[in-house]
Amino acid sequence: MSASPETVGTIYDIGYRHYDGPRLGRRGAMSAIVGAGLRALFGLGRSGRSKILPWGTLILASVPAGVAVAIRVLVGDLVDLYSYENYLWGIGALLPIFVAAQTPELVVNDMRHRVLPLYFSRPLGRLDYVAAKLAALSVALLGLTLLPVLLLFVGRVLAAEDLVAALGEAIGALPAIVGSGVLHAVVLASLGLAICSLAGRRAYAAGAVLAVFLIGGVMSGTFESQGSDLASFAPFLNPLAILDGTRQWLFGGSVAESPVAGADVPLATFGLATFVLLGISLAILAIRYKRVST
Amino acid sequence: MALLSTRALTKRYPGVTALDGLSLELDPGVIGLVGANGAGKSTLIKILLGLLDATEGEARVLDLDTATDGAAIRALVGYMPEHDCLPPDVSATEFVAHMGRVSGLPSGAARERTADVLRHVGLYEERYRPIGGYSTGMKQRVKLAQALVHDPRVLFLDEPTNGLDPAGRDEMLALIERIGREFGIAVIVASHLLGEIERVATWLVAIDAGRLLRTAPLSSFTERTGQLLIETDEPADGLAARLVGRGIDARADGRTVVADLGTGDGSEFGIYDAVRDEAVALGLALVRLEHRRHQLEDLFRVGGADERVA
Repeated sequence: MSASPETVGTIYDIGYRHYDGPRLGRRGAMSAIVGAGLRALFGLGRSGRSKILPWGTLILASVPAGVAVAIRVLVGDLVDLYSYENYLWGIGALLPIFVAAQTPELVVNDMRHRVLPLYFSRPLGRLDYVAAKLAALSVALLGLTLLPVLLLFVGRVLAAEDLVAALGEAIGALPAIVGSGVLHAVVLASLGLAICSLAGRRAYAAGAVLAVFLIGGVMSGTFESQGSDLASFAPFLNPLAILDGTRQWLFGGSVAESPVAGADVPLATFGLATFVLLGISLAILAIRYKRVST
Repeated sequence: MALLSTRALTKRYPGVTALDGLSLELDPGVIGLVGANGAGKSTLIKILLGLLDATEGEARVLDLDTATDGAAIRALVGYMPEHDCLPPDVSATEFVAHMGRVSGLPSGAARERTADVLRHVGLYEERYRPIGGYSTGMKQRVKLAQALVHDPRVLFLDEPTNGLDPAGRDEMLALIERIGREFGIAVIVASHLLGEIERVATWLVAIDAGRLLRTAPLSSFTERTGQLLIETDEPADGLAARLVGRGIDARADGRTVVADLGTGDGSEFGIYDAVRDEAVALGLALVRLEHRRHQLEDLFRVGGADERVA
C-alpha cells in the first residue's frame, strides 16, 4: 500500500496474527447481544443525555418503595401506602415510558441500517437474535418491575423490631413478588419489541408503543366510566390491566384502582388474554425476523 | 480440502432465476467472481453463507453442507456485503469489537483483534468517532474489518470497491491481495469490474445470468495467444500481403497486423526478422510489436468465450 499515516510512527509492524484461542459460538454470540443490549438500554458508554430516561424511570419507580420504608421506620404500621400487590399498578405509567423510549435503541437501527445480514452471517440463528434482544429487554424491565418491590420487601423486614419474625412472616410474599415482576417484564418486553420491530425509525417505534398503551388506557377508562355492558371488556384494551388481572389470578390481592375490579369476568380470562398477547407478540417477532431480507 | 463446491445449484425467485444449475469446484486462493450486475454473484454468496436457501442442488463450504451445517460454516467465514450495513451512532472500535464477540470471540480477544484489524485496514484516530461521520472509503474499511475480526478461514467480499474513488480502489485491492497472500485467508471477491478482479485474483469464475461461463486460473484468461501484434503508423495491408508471401499466416486490420507465431519451436525469430525486413522495405514505421494476449473482456463478448461450460 502507499504511504499510510502510520508509517512514520510505527515501531514494529508485527504483521497479521491468526487467532487460535477459544470460540464461544452461538452462546457467546447471544450473550454478546444481551450485554450490548443492556448497555444500550441504560445508555452506558453513551452520552449523559441518553442515560436520563432509563435511570430516571428506574429511580422514580423506586421512590414509592423508599417513601414507604421511610414512613414505616418513622411512624410504624399506622400508614401503609404501598403493598406488594398494588405496587406495579401504582408505577404502571413508568413501564410504557421506559419501553417506548428504550426499546427502539435495541432493534430499530439494526433493521434500518441493514446490520442484520452481519448478524445472520455469524454463528447464530435469526431466532437466537430475537431471543437475545428479548432477554436484554426483560432483564432491564426487571429493574422496574422487581427491584423496587424487593426494596420495599427488604426495607420492611429491616424496619421491623424482630427481624427473624418479620422475615418469617414476609417470606411467603416473595414468590408473588418475583412472579409478578417476571410476568410484567417478559410480556411487556415481548409486546414492546414486537411493535418496535415493525417500525422503520426510532421515533415511529417510540410513538407506536406509547400509542398502544395510551389508546388502550384511555379507551379502557372511557368504557369503564360509562358503566355500560362494555365495562367488562374495558380492561382488555389496556395491556397493563390485562397483566394486573393475570397477577391477581395467579397470586391474588386485588387493587382498588385497577379496572380489573370492574370487570365481570373470571380472573382466568386475564390469564388467557396475557397468553394471547404474548403469543401474538412472539409470532410477530418470529415472522418479522424470518422474513427480513438479507 | 476444497474451498467450496456446488452441484447443480439453482435459486428461483418468482419470475426470475438467479442461479441456474451452477456447478463449481474451487481450491483456496483469491477467487474472483465476475459477472454483470444481476448475474447471480450476490445470490451465490448468500447461499454459501446460509443467508438464503437454494431452490435446488447443494453447496459445500470447507466440506460443510450449507443446508445442514450453516452455523458451523458461519463460524469460519467473514462476510462483507455490497450494501451499507453500519449503524451510524457507534464508533468503529465499538462496532467491530461487538461483531467480534457475536462471532464467538471472548471480549478480551475481541478488543485485541479489533485494534489489530482496524490497523490492518488503515483506520487510525477516526476509529473512536461515530461511524455516521465517516467517508465512504472509511466505511468500506470498517465493513472489511468486521468481516476479518474473528480471523475467518474464508472471506466473502461483495463488490468491495463500490463507491470508492480511484485511490481508495487501489488501496482496497492492495488490501485484498494482502489478505489472500500474506494473511493466508481464502478470499472470494465478487465484482462486475473485470479490470479490478484481474489485479487481485488467482482464479476466476465468470457467471452470466446464473450460469457458469468459465472457471480457470487467471493466467489462462490472459495467457499469450501465440500471435504477434504489429501496429504501424499507416494502413498495413501491404505488410500483411508481403508476410503472407513469405509463408506467414498474417491478417491486416486497419493499421495493425496479427501474425501467427507458430508453435514456439524457435521459428518465431524468423518471423520477427521478416517483419523488420518488410517494414524497412515498405518504409513503414513500427509503433508497437507485442505478443497478443487474451483479454478478460473477451469472455463477455458475444461468442467470445472459448467454450460455454454446460
